[in-house]
Amino acid sequence: MSMALFSSPPKTHIPSLSPCPLSKPYLLVKPYIFLRPNSRPISTGATDNGSGAVGSAVVEEKVPKAPVTSSEPEPEPSTLESNGSPATAGSPVEEGFPKFVDPRWVGGTWDLTKFQTDGKPNWDTVIDAEVKRRKWLEDNPESSNNDDPVVFDTSIIPWWAWMKRFHLPEAELLNGRAAMIGFFMAYFVDSLTGVGLVDQMDNFFCKTLLFVAVAGVLVIRKNEDIENVKKLIEETTFYDKQWQATWQDESPSKGL
Amino acid sequence: MASIAIKTFVGLRQSSPESHLPKPLPAQAHQRKLRIAAAKTSPKVTGRNLRVAIIGGGPAGGAAAETLAKGGIETFLIERKMDNCKPCGGAIPLCMVGEFDLPLDIIDRRVTKMKMISPSNVAVDIGQTLKPHEYIGMVRREVLDAYLRERAAAAGAAVINGLFLKMDKPTSKTAPYTLHYTGYDGKTGGAGSKQILEVDAVIGADGANSRVAKSIGAGDYEYAIAFQERIKIPDDKMKYYEDLAEMYVGDDVSPDFYGWVFPKCDHVAVGTGTVTHKGDIKKFQSATRLRARDKILGGKIIRVEAHPIPEHPRPKRLAGRVALVGDAAGYVTKCSGEGIYFAAKSGRMCAEAIVEGSENGKRMVEEGDLRKYLEKWDKTYWPTYKVLDVLQKVFYRSNPAREAFVEMCADEYVQKMTFDSYLYKKVAPGNPLEDLKLAVNTIGSLVRANALRREMDKLSV
Repeated sequence: MSMALFSSPPKTHIPSLSPCPLSKPYLLVKPYIFLRPNSRPISTGATDNGSGAVGSAVVEEKVPKAPVTSSEPEPEPSTLESNGSPATAGSPVEEGFPKFVDPRWVGGTWDLTKFQTDGKPNWDTVIDAEVKRRKWLEDNPESSNNDDPVVFDTSIIPWWAWMKRFHLPEAELLNGRAAMIGFFMAYFVDSLTGVGLVDQMDNFFCKTLLFVAVAGVLVIRKNEDIENVKKLIEETTFYDKQWQATWQDESPSKGL
Repeated sequence: MASIAIKTFVGLRQSSPESHLPKPLPAQAHQRKLRIAAAKTSPKVTGRNLRVAIIGGGPAGGAAAETLAKGGIETFLIERKMDNCKPCGGAIPLCMVGEFDLPLDIIDRRVTKMKMISPSNVAVDIGQTLKPHEYIGMVRREVLDAYLRERAAAAGAAVINGLFLKMDKPTSKTAPYTLHYTGYDGKTGGAGSKQILEVDAVIGADGANSRVAKSIGAGDYEYAIAFQERIKIPDDKMKYYEDLAEMYVGDDVSPDFYGWVFPKCDHVAVGTGTVTHKGDIKKFQSATRLRARDKILGGKIIRVEAHPIPEHPRPKRLAGRVALVGDAAGYVTKCSGEGIYFAAKSGRMCAEAIVEGSENGKRMVEEGDLRKYLEKWDKTYWPTYKVLDVLQKVFYRSNPAREAFVEMCADEYVQKMTFDSYLYKKVAPGNPLEDLKLAVNTIGSLVRANALRREMDKLSV
């Protein structure tokens, strides 16, 4: 199975750019945080106007410590949409919130009858459609609605469709790399030591090298992966270290 | 006792008595080593009982005060604001009601259904596996805290309205800690008067910004900011939230946590939190409100609140005869951000260790007695914390991971395991075959979601 888990880089901790005013956090968040440039393209305009909802009508019965009037002074237009989304990349400050529409998206799921070729659903097009939908939603988050729930489950797409589309090309790539490395290393070792391929496989050291080469090809696919793997290893034990910090100054007999 | 046995043994056996002579000496030394209770060597406290002060009157402080007072210790509970409405999600697990004998009328709502909503708005209902008597209790902190404090006072603790300022370290192993605090009472009005209290041990239960922690140099921790708005919504919309809580996941709502809609007594609390992008918390809050927009349409914000939540324990949770419990120690779980139960339980455990180490207040305690509480705590709850940490690392990583998370929540086995471990605070072992199926399904979901993600990236380029 494709080790897709490791190729998406884990989220690194980006240090917060604004000085966090929350050293005394029972005070409420100061208003100047609003003025930071909005780098994420969400439709913030959607929240403050005309929805008649929670936005402008802030009736605070209890006045909090810091005079935070959360009257949402952040109408920054999210003009950073940069995708080929099917619907309008509309100006956000308008009454109608852009909603994902697609003729094949019916009742909160994809209508498979619309994806047929030769009487069988073309799974590749289903995957494409779902990708577009998710991309659209990431850039224009929508409200979740009880009357119109989303019930699509990616597991309705059969496993072999996923294999064909995602696993096989990557497997081909990795096998190709392993084969190239293997051929070259076998030739190199043979030219240096005169030991042929069959005899190399009897040798323990050569078998170890083979194992390392295969594992390396599997785990390290991009240059960034080396750093990622190191970070992952550190991450797995970080929490344990934080918990055991209180025992560090104590004698080892009391440790966990 | 061992020496007596040796004596009778010597009497009975007819064989060489010389070989038994050296025995009594090592037997005595052995005897002393067996009794590790340090309190035995501590001096008795004469003329009075052990005095312990608890700084902070929340769930941790209240539970600790009650246990100490019941154990015969002279207890002082110092709380700065008796009517404090601590910003909090307010969810307590079922086991807390039983373990702390909470009356059912302090629970405003019983949540028996939850909805998890993924970044692409796939909504999954969980809670069908709950038995009729199982629920998640929603409480108002001001009600719960006041109840626990009153119970502590009824058990004999002295509840003092005051703000802890600083603490003077003791000069010797038996000298007291001197606490300086500003006492508020009716006579002096708002300003309060400086007071001094001498105690033998201190429990720091004063929350995420603990002053006690600062005074013992406990070190800092990473914390999340939880931001919450209380919104009063129309009655017909409130009906939907009668016994249902929602959890929204997505990069728009929070990069490393989740957004929530929790029902309270007559309104809902809509909030979110983050560790890594604290500056963007307002944006995340708007996004949460957007995602819940249709369900909270027509609502009015009645209160805005925020508070830090610790992400992991402080480097030092104990120094001398001062111990930290609850949020002050950093006992909030990852993934769910749950802290009330653990605060109360740690307060109780620490108090029990003090009662035991001092033999109901007769002897002075030592650091070793308080360490026992840490040992017990770490041993009992470490698996819970670790599992939740792993879940957070795997499933809150990115949008594909969150999609997989919500997909997995649709599975009945997952729901059963999740609720069993949440409600009873035990990492339930489960069925190995089902666990294997679950592992395979999890990997499948993650792989599918990540594959879709890579296609999405191709689309945007």
